[in-house]
Amino acid sequence: MKMESSNPPKIVCFMCNWAFCEEEMRVPYNVNVIRVMCVGRMDPALVLETFANGAEGVLLVGCKPPDCHFVDGNLHAERAVKMLKKLLALAGLEPERLKLLLVSPLEDKDFSRHAKGFSEEVWKLGNSPLSKEEIVANLIAAKEAASAFRLRVLLGREEELTEFMNAYGEKIPEEEFDALLDDIVRAEFIRYKIHYLTRTKPRSVKELAQILGIKPSAVLRHITNMRRKGMIALDHVEGYTPLYKALEVR
Amino acid sequence: MTEKLLQEVRKFPPCRAACPAHVNVQAYVALIQRGKFKEAVEVIRRDMPFPAICGRVCFSPCEDACARVNLDQAVAIRALKRLVADIEREQGRVVAEPVPKKYGEKIAIIGAGPAGLTAAYELAKLGYPVTVFERMDEPGGMMRYCIPDFRLEKFVVANEIAYIKDIGVEIKTGVEFGKDITIKSLKEDGYKAIFLSIGTQLGMKLNVPGEDLEGVINAVDFLRAIALEKKITVGERVAVIGGGNTAIDAARMAKKLGAKEVMILYRRSREEMPALPHEVELAEKDGIKFYFLVAPKQIIGENGRVKAVECLRMRLGEPDESGRRRPIPIAFSEHQYEVDMVIPALGQIVETSILPPELISKEKRGPPLQVDPLTLETNVPGVFAGGDVATGPASIIEAVGAGKRAAVSIHRYLRGEDLRKGVEEEKIEETTWVKDWRLLEKKERRYDAPIEKPHLSFEEAKEYLEKLKRQARFEAFRCLGCGPCAECLASMDLCEGDKAVVDEGKCVGCNVCAVVCPVGAIKKNEKGVAQVNEDLCKGCGLCAARCPERAITMKKLSDEQIITMVLTALER
Repeated sequence: MKMESSNPPKIVCFMCNWAFCEEEMRVPYNVNVIRVMCVGRMDPALVLETFANGAEGVLLVGCKPPDCHFVDGNLHAERAVKMLKKLLALAGLEPERLKLLLVSPLEDKDFSRHAKGFSEEVWKLGNSPLSKEEIVANLIAAKEAASAFRLRVLLGREEELTEFMNAYGEKIPEEEFDALLDDIVRAEFIRYKIHYLTRTKPRSVKELAQILGIKPSAVLRHITNMRRKGMIALDHVEGYTPLYKALEVR
Repeated sequence: MTEKLLQEVRKFPPCRAACPAHVNVQAYVALIQRGKFKEAVEVIRRDMPFPAICGRVCFSPCEDACARVNLDQAVAIRALKRLVADIEREQGRVVAEPVPKKYGEKIAIIGAGPAGLTAAYELAKLGYPVTVFERMDEPGGMMRYCIPDFRLEKFVVANEIAYIKDIGVEIKTGVEFGKDITIKSLKEDGYKAIFLSIGTQLGMKLNVPGEDLEGVINAVDFLRAIALEKKITVGERVAVIGGGNTAIDAARMAKKLGAKEVMILYRRSREEMPALPHEVELAEKDGIKFYFLVAPKQIIGENGRVKAVECLRMRLGEPDESGRRRPIPIAFSEHQYEVDMVIPALGQIVETSILPPELISKEKRGPPLQVDPLTLETNVPGVFAGGDVATGPASIIEAVGAGKRAAVSIHRYLRGEDLRKGVEEEKIEETTWVKDWRLLEKKERRYDAPIEKPHLSFEEAKEYLEKLKRQARFEAFRCLGCGPCAECLASMDLCEGDKAVVDEGKCVGCNVCAVVCPVGAIKKNEKGVAQVNEDLCKGCGLCAARCPERAITMKKLSDEQIITMVLTALER
C-alpha cells in the first residue's frame, strides 16, 4: 500500500456519552470527538454529510450489547452502518472509511489505541480514486437518499420486520431483507443522483445513462418513477430527445 | 429542597418512591456509573445525612422495589451506598461549610436519634438556628447505643454526626428531657418550635413469672450497657426471646462476648421473622441456634438466679392484623431450656413517664402520643413529634423520613404557611420505562460491598480500591434508570437533558418513532400525530435519527448543531 497523502487523515468520531466516560481521553490530534447521547442517535444522513464536508474517516463509538443505556441503540447503529456502507460503496468511497466500534464502557479504557488504529487504516486507503467534485456530488446524492422517506422507513422498521412480524404476520428472513435493502439503496441512490445531475441543467436519458454508467432503459424507469413522485419534470424537447430537469423537493 | 419535593407532582422511579426518605437513588447510582463517587455522596446528603449508616444497616426498601427484579435481581443499592460513603470517609472526612443563619427563630429538638438529627440537619440547611438536646453522653440514639459495633461502627456514626454539626447544628448532650428541660422551660428560653423525637427507649416486658430474677436483662439494656462499656457478665448458655433485628443483634453480641451457647426462641416460624434474612444467615454462621414456635411460660430461678426457661410449643393459626399468622399455644407442651441468662427482645415502648401529661393521648389503646401522621403536629401548638415515639419502633430510614417531614412542617409553621398544603394530596407516581423486557439482557447481581477491610500495603491498597470502584461501577451499570431525569446535577456534558420535539406539520404518522423509542415515550395521539411524553423521554435521539420525514428534532443536540460541530472540527 502506498501512502498517497502525507498528512494524517481528518477523522470525525461520534461517541456515545457513556463510552469512555470516566477519564480524560487522550485523542490523536487528527481525530475530532463529538459526543452524542447514544450512538444510535447518528442519523445516516448526518454521517454522509460529515463525509461530504471533507472528513476522510468517520468512527462511531458505542457500547457493547448488554450495556447500551437505551436498550438497543447500538443495534440501531449497526443497522444504519450496514446501510451506510452500501451507500458509501455506491458513492465511490471505500466502506472501510466508516467504522462502528462497540466497546464495553467499563472494560475498555484506551481510546487512543482504537483511534490510532482506525486512523492508520484510513491513512492506508489514501485519497479516493475519484475526483473531489465527483465524490462530493455522489455524497450529496447519497445523503439525500438517506434523508428520504423510503430508506429511513425501511431502516426504522428493520427490527420489526426481521425479528417480529410485518402487517401480514410474516417474518422476513434476514437475507431476504438484505437483498431488498440492497435494491432499494441502489435505486434510491441513482434517483437522487439523477436529481442532483439535472438540478443545474436539463439532461437527456442518454446523457444520464452515460454519466451513471447504466443502461438507458434503467434510467428511463427511474425517471418515470421520479416523475410520479414529483421529483423531476420534462423541461423541453431537443429534436426528438426529451430533456428532464429536477423539481424542488419539498 | 424538602419543601420543594413535597409540593411537586412527583414522578419517581420505584426505588425512590419506596424509600421513606425519598433518597434520590437513581441519581447517585448514575453518578457511580460515571465513576463520580464523591458527587454520589453529595447527592445522598441532599436527601439525608446518613449515607454510611444507611449503607450498613438500612433494610433497603429501595431494593425490594427495584424494577430490575422483573429481569434478574435488584441492583445492590445499599452496598453501593456503603461503598461510596466509605471511600469518602477513608479519604478524609469532608468538612461541610456552615450554612448561614437566615432566620431568627430558635428551634429545639429533643433526642439526637436519626429522626431528630435529620430534622436538625434539614432545618439548619434552611437557615434556622437549631439546638439538639440529648440525654446520653454521645448523640446518635439507637444508632450509637443499640446497634452493635460489628454491624455499625461507632466512628461511622460519629463521622456522620460531625457533618451535621459542621453545617451549624448545636448538639447539647447530657441534658435530660423532663428533668433538666421541659416544654415550658424551652418556650421560656425562646425556642419557637420544638420537635420531640425521643424514640422508644424501654424494652417490652415478657409478662411471665420470674422476670425479675438475676440474669434476665432486656435486649435494649443489654446492648446499651455494652455500648457504654459497662462491665457485663454474659452467661454460658443464653436464651434470646424474640425474632426481630434487636434479638439477632443481642444474640450475636452475646456469642461474641463469650457465651458458649446462644439460642433464639421465637414464637412463630422462620418465615414470619421480622429480622432481615441476611442478618439471620450471619447469626446462623456465628453458631446461634434457632428454636421456632416456642414461647416462654415462666423463668425458673434458683437462689435468685436464672436456671431455666419453661416454654410452651405453639402452632400457627389465622393471620392477624399484622398479616402474620397468629401463634396459638399447645396445651401441656411445657418443656425447659437450661440457661443462665435470658434476654427478652420483644420490641420497645415509649417512656411515657417523661412525656408531659398534656401530650399524652386520652385513649388507652394505640400510641401514647397524639400526632397528626401527615404534619407531625401534636395537640400543643409549636410542638411536633415524630420518629419511633409517634409510630412505635421502626427503622432508621423511616425515622429519617419523619425527620424530613417534621422539618417541612416546622418551617411552614414558623413562616405562617399552611401546613397541609400539598402534603395531603401527596401522590407519588411511579415510573418504569422499559417497553419490552425481552430486549434486555440478563446481568446477574454478584456484588456486595466488602465487610472487612484487608490489611494491605500502599500499592496494594491503591489496586484494591481500583478493583472496588470497578466492581461498583459494574453493579451500577445494572441500573435501568427507571425514572425521568434523575437530577443528578452532574456536569451537563454527561447528560444533555435532551428531549425530542415533533413537528406536527411534517409528521405522517408512520409509527417508526414509536417502534424505535426504547422507552415507549412516543405514541400517536387521536389526530394520528406522534406525541412525545416528556416525562419518559430520555433524549437518546434514536427517533430523530430514524424519523422518515425528519419531523423529529432534538431540543439541544439537533441535527444542525451536530453539523456545525462537524464543520468546526474539520476546519481545525
